[in-house]
This record gives sequence, C-alpha cells and structure tokens, in this order.
Amino acid sequence: MPLIRPSRIRIDSELLDALSAPASQQNYADDVRAFVRIDHSIRTYWHTLFDVCPGLLRLSGPDGQSVFRPFMAWAAEQRLSFGWSYYLWVYIWLRQSEFRGLLDSDLRLSLMAASAARWATFDRSKAAAIAIGCMEVQGLVCGFKPCALDASMTVEYQELEKAIASPDGQFGFFTSSGPEIDRFPGWYAIPK
Amino acid sequence: MQIGFNFTSGSALPLVRQLISEGRIDFVEILIDNFLQVAPRELAAAFDCPVAFHIMFSKFLESDLDFLEDLAGRLRTYIDALKPVYVSDHLLRFSHEGRNLFHFAEIDYVSEYDAVRERVEWWQSRIGRRLYLENYPSIMDGGRDAPAFFERLTRESGVGVLFDLSNAVITNLNCGLSLDAWHDIISTTTRFHVAGYHTSFIKPHVIVDSHDRELSSETDTFLESRRQYIEKPGSTITYERDFNIERDSISADLDNLRRIFGLLGESRRQVQGNVV
Repeated sequence: MPLIRPSRIRIDSELLDALSAPASQQNYADDVRAFVRIDHSIRTYWHTLFDVCPGLLRLSGPDGQSVFRPFMAWAAEQRLSFGWSYYLWVYIWLRQSEFRGLLDSDLRLSLMAASAARWATFDRSKAAAIAIGCMEVQGLVCGFKPCALDASMTVEYQELEKAIASPDGQFGFFTSSGPEIDRFPGWYAIPK
Repeated sequence: MQIGFNFTSGSALPLVRQLISEGRIDFVEILIDNFLQVAPRELAAAFDCPVAFHIMFSKFLESDLDFLEDLAGRLRTYIDALKPVYVSDHLLRFSHEGRNLFHFAEIDYVSEYDAVRERVEWWQSRIGRRLYLENYPSIMDGGRDAPAFFERLTRESGVGVLFDLSNAVITNLNCGLSLDAWHDIISTTTRFHVAGYHTSFIKPHVIVDSHDRELSSETDTFLESRRQYIEKPGSTITYERDFNIERDSISADLDNLRRIFGLLGESRRQVQGNVV
C-alpha cells in the first residue's frame, strides 16, 4: 500500500501554470505529489517531442534537455498554444538557437510530418486532410485522417505538379474537406 | 452485466473482432471522435454486437459554442445510425489560458461547479442523449471533492456518471479518499470503466493512470467487493487498454472480469440500452 503524504498544494488547478514549465518544477520540491504531478505533465511534452522526432536527440544529447528546456521557456514567452503546430514551432525556435548550424532537411521534414500527424490524430473539425508547406521545401507534407474503419491516419510527402507560391512565413498550411489534396486555396499562417 | 472493450484505432480492429467472436466481450466502446471521417454506415456494420460511444476531444467545457454545435450535429448522425447503448465524455481541463495541456488536468469541483453544470446541461442537450461523465484519476487532494460533486451534478443536471473503478482506486491510493465515498454513485449508475495504472516514474508511492497493463490487485479487490452494486440489469463495464495492446494480456483481464461477474463461459447477450 503506497504511503499517503500530506500535500501543501490542495487542488490540481493550483498547478496549471507549472504544468508546461519545466523550470518551475523545482519550486515544488517539498511537495511530493505536486512535484510528481508536474513531472508527469512535463514528461508528456518531452515524449510527445522526442519519441516522435528522435532526430532531435542528435542535437541535444540523449536527455534532450538542452533543446527541451529552452524551447519550453521560449514557448511560454511566445504564448504558444501547443496545438498541432507544436513541432513546427520547435523548428522555428531551433533556427534562432545555438543549434541552427546543425539543422538539416531530414529533421525539418520529420518535424513537418509530426505536425501533420498530430493534426490528423487530434483535429476535430470537418476537414479531412492538411497540407503543410515550408519556404525551404518544394513539395507538401500532408496528413490524412482515417476515412475507413481499418485505416490509420497517414502522412505523405507530395511533390507538386505545378509550383505554388511559398508561404509568407517559415511554414504555412491549408486543409481539404475531401480525402485528397487536389487544390490550393492559399496559405494560412500556422497557429501559435 | 455486459463486458466491453474500447476501440480507438483501426489497427485494433482484428483484435476486437476476435474478442467478440471468442465471447470475451459483449459490446464495443468506440472512441467515436476518432472515426468522424468514417461513413456511419460502415461503422454501423463494423461489429457483430452492440456499441457504446466515448467522446475524447469535444473539450466541451472550453470549446467555443459554434464548434460544439457542429461537432454535436456530426455525433448525432452516428448516434442515429449506430444507436449506442450509452454516450460518454470527459470532465477535464484540456488547456490553461489558451495553451494545451498534454496531460489533462482535473477541474476544481468546488469553485467551478456552477459553470460546469451549465455547460454540461447545454452539451447534453446538443448531444440529444443522456451523457455519462467519467471521474478523474486524482493525484492532488482536490479529488476528495469529486464524489459529492458528481452526486450533485447528476441530481441537478440529469447527466450520469461513467464510473471508472480504477480511477477511484488511484484517487484512493494518492489522496486517501475512501472507496466507500463512491458508494451512492456505484449503486445508482449503470456505466463503468476499468483499466490498468502504474506507479509514477520518480516516486513509486504516487500512482498515475496509464491504460497500458493488466488490472491491479487493488482494482480486482474493489470490483469483487462491489460486485452486487455494480451488477444491475443493463449494466456495462468497459475494459480500456490503449498501450501494450497484447492479446494474451487483454484476454486474461477480460476473463478475470467475466469470472468476477460470473460470466465465464456465458455467450453474449443483448446489451440493454439506457436510452434517454
């Protein structure tokens, strides 16, 4: 039987500011359950990033902390929403970080694919597919929600038959109501 | 008493169909918002047994009303086509000040009651069916307020409780909330969940929900001790497994559930819906 220890913090809501802030975890070192609660939340952000894009560990070393902690601090300053574009903002941050000289096309594509996959898994709008473009990439990284019972979401790199304008920012996106990316309605800025 | 299994991804389709054909489960709980691009007719023909719906990402406490109206309309299409035995959702905080939480948070059962009740009533009206809401696997002591909150909410709003027995065990182990505190809810609801959990990575005396392994001995004991209150005409219990989808491990747990409820060897029967 686990030992129940008293907690200084009573309710989960008191921890909301700390749940995405690795730097604040130490403030709760004397409160075991609050510390664990924050740890579990922070680990979820970590695993969502590095389990999906293990290539990032090449930059940071095996614990990922030299990428993860400064990115999360920057994300808090920028008030990033941690939506499907989470991985794209990591790339945007990396381009202005000490790691900018180590970035390559494989890492960029893996982050774009991860965002497309996250959209296809968690978006609940009517849209069936998303296309993500990058000013440094010719084609599109596309994510498709499963449209058959035995299907899973899929992510594809699609070459363009005709060139289209680059997004205004580093990345842009558009969605399709059907299961194919067959028209270009123009770019939307990625959500913060 | 009917025993079900959660279906969250097409990759689990062969396993779920096998569990049905082996008589290990009586119904399938579909994580319905994962399948909103699948034609209702295809989903309706998917399983040779009744289905229930679990909603994961409506985020109905915080989503804007236009989005929820649209989502509810799409969900009603599936409700009409598949006639689920119940429709359930999550009472969680998915974001904080516009920033998504990747590990969802527990609401404040005291200060948020009125706002939650208002939104719950509205969301239930848009779904068009009685809505069952799941209790949270608490780490912090605020979880001690959950039983009274759910009792009041069900009384005043008409929603039901999707009572997760293993979440109650987690709350018991973390916060010391007696399992007896849930007695009235267990005695009155007909919808149950159960799943595995594990100790936290850094402090083994703190427990976190995980859905990645077999049921704990504490959960088994809780189930056995409350069997007479869980078992009612039309009652359902869904076994959830989201990670480590291993057939033998899942089968062992389902067989254990069937043993606890005296259903081992019984063929499937028609789940009695509780349509409101």
